[in-house]
Amino acid sequence: MKFFIIIFILILISPANANTILYLIKIPNLEIYSNKSDNGLKYLQATKPFEVGIRNNNVSCFNSSEKLLEKKFIIIENNLNRYSSDFLDNINLKYIVLCERLSVAEIQAAGVPNNKVKTLIVNITFNEEYFERVLHHEVFHMINEAHKHLFLDSEWISLNNSDFKYAQCSTCSDRLSLSLRKKKDGFITEYAMSTPSEDMAEVFSFLITNNMKIDNISKEDPILKKKISYIKKNILKIDKNFNF
Amino acid sequence: MIKKIKRTLSEKILLIFILTLGIATFSSFFIIKNKCLFVKNYNPEKINFEFPENIAILNTNCGNVIIQLYPNISPNSVSRFKMLINNDEYNNIAFHRVIKNVLVQAGDLEFGKKNNLNYTYIGTGKSGYGAINSELNTKFDFKKGTVGLARTDKINTEDSQFFILLQDAPLFKEEYTPVGKVIYGLDVIKKIKHSAKSEYVLRPDFINYFKLLR
Repeated sequence: MKFFIIIFILILISPANANTILYLIKIPNLEIYSNKSDNGLKYLQATKPFEVGIRNNNVSCFNSSEKLLEKKFIIIENNLNRYSSDFLDNINLKYIVLCERLSVAEIQAAGVPNNKVKTLIVNITFNEEYFERVLHHEVFHMINEAHKHLFLDSEWISLNNSDFKYAQCSTCSDRLSLSLRKKKDGFITEYAMSTPSEDMAEVFSFLITNNMKIDNISKEDPILKKKISYIKKNILKIDKNFNF
Repeated sequence: MIKKIKRTLSEKILLIFILTLGIATFSSFFIIKNKCLFVKNYNPEKINFEFPENIAILNTNCGNVIIQLYPNISPNSVSRFKMLINNDEYNNIAFHRVIKNVLVQAGDLEFGKKNNLNYTYIGTGKSGYGAINSELNTKFDFKKGTVGLARTDKINTEDSQFFILLQDAPLFKEEYTPVGKVIYGLDVIKKIKHSAKSEYVLRPDFINYFKLLR
C-alpha cells in the first residue's frame, strides 16, 4: 500500500505535461479561463505554480482559488475592455495570464509584460488599493515595448527639471510608493521617480483611471502637464480614436 | 538399476506454469518491441477521396498518414507545402519536436535530414525557398489532427516546418496557418518517438516519404 502511495505522490509532483499553450506562449501549467472577450483578449489561469524567465527562471507565480479568480476576473476584464481589439493588435497584447503572488527575482510584481509572446502576466493578489490602476500601468509597458520609437527616454527626461535624475532601474531605489504625491514637481507618485518608463506608465495609468484628477493636478504642475500631453499625443499616434 | 519416479500432479502443474510463463515472456518481448503492432496502416489506393488532388500521404515507420490539404483556406501556404512535397524535400526528414499527445513537428530541411542531423540547430533550419506570409484565419478551429505551418515568434516567417496536432488547440486560431487535416492514420502519428524529458528528440523518427496522391 505504501508503495502505491509513493507512486501516486510521485505522479502528482512530476512536471506537468506540456500543452499547446506552452508551445504558443512559453509558460507552463496554464489553461484557458475565458476566451470570449469582446476585444479578443484570451484569459488564462495558472493550474499549478510556474517559473519562467530568461535568467534562472526568475519570474514565478502561483495558481489561485476559483473564488478569487472569479472576483478578480470581473475587475480585470472590465478594465481591459476599455481597449479595442485594433488597439490591442497594435500593441501586441492578446493573452492575459491570471495568477497570484507574482514575483520577479523574488521581488513582488503587479504584472510582467512580454511583448514577444503577446502576453501580460497579472498578479491578482496585488495591493487592492492600486489594483485597477496598475493593470493600465502594465498595459502601458506593452504599448511602450511595441512602440519604442514613440516614447523616448531622452525626450521624456528633458521634460523634467534639469537637476532630477532617475534611478538605474525600477527597483534600484526606495521610491516604490504608488500613492499620489502632494508635492507638485512633475511626478504623480514616488514610483514615477524610479525610471522614465515607470514614470510614463504612471501618467498613463492615471489618465485611464482618473483623468479628471490628473488634469486638475496638472493645472498647478507645468511639468506634469507637459508629460500628460506627451503621452496623449503619442497614444493618439497609435490609435487616433483612443478615448482617454 | 535406476527406478523411474513418476511426476506428481503439482509438479506437472508447476512445469506447465513455467512453460506458459516462458512463452508469454518471449512473445511479449516482440510485441512490446514492435510499437506499430496494433496500428492500422491505411492504403490510400483503396479509399475514395472527394478531392484526390488535395490528398497527401506521409509515410513513417508505422504506416501512412493521409492528409487532406486546404487550398481554399490557405492558398499560398498549401501551394508552398505541395511544392516541397512534390520536390521530395520532406523525405528522410526528422520529427524533431514531439510533445506526447499534444503535437509533432517536422520539416527542418536544413538541420533535420537523416544522416546529417544537427542536434544543436535542429528546429531553426530553413528550406532555402524563403519565408512566406502567414495566412491566419478568423474562422478556422485548430482541432485534433490539424496540420499547420510552424513559424518563429513572429508572423510571416512560415517556411517548411509543420506540425500535426494530437489535441484541440483553441488558442492556435489566428496564430498559425492551417494547411490541412489528418483524415486517416492519426494513430500512426501517436507512435512517433518522443522523449519524456524534452520536446526535442534524440535519435528521432523520420518521414520515410511524403507524396501527393495525384
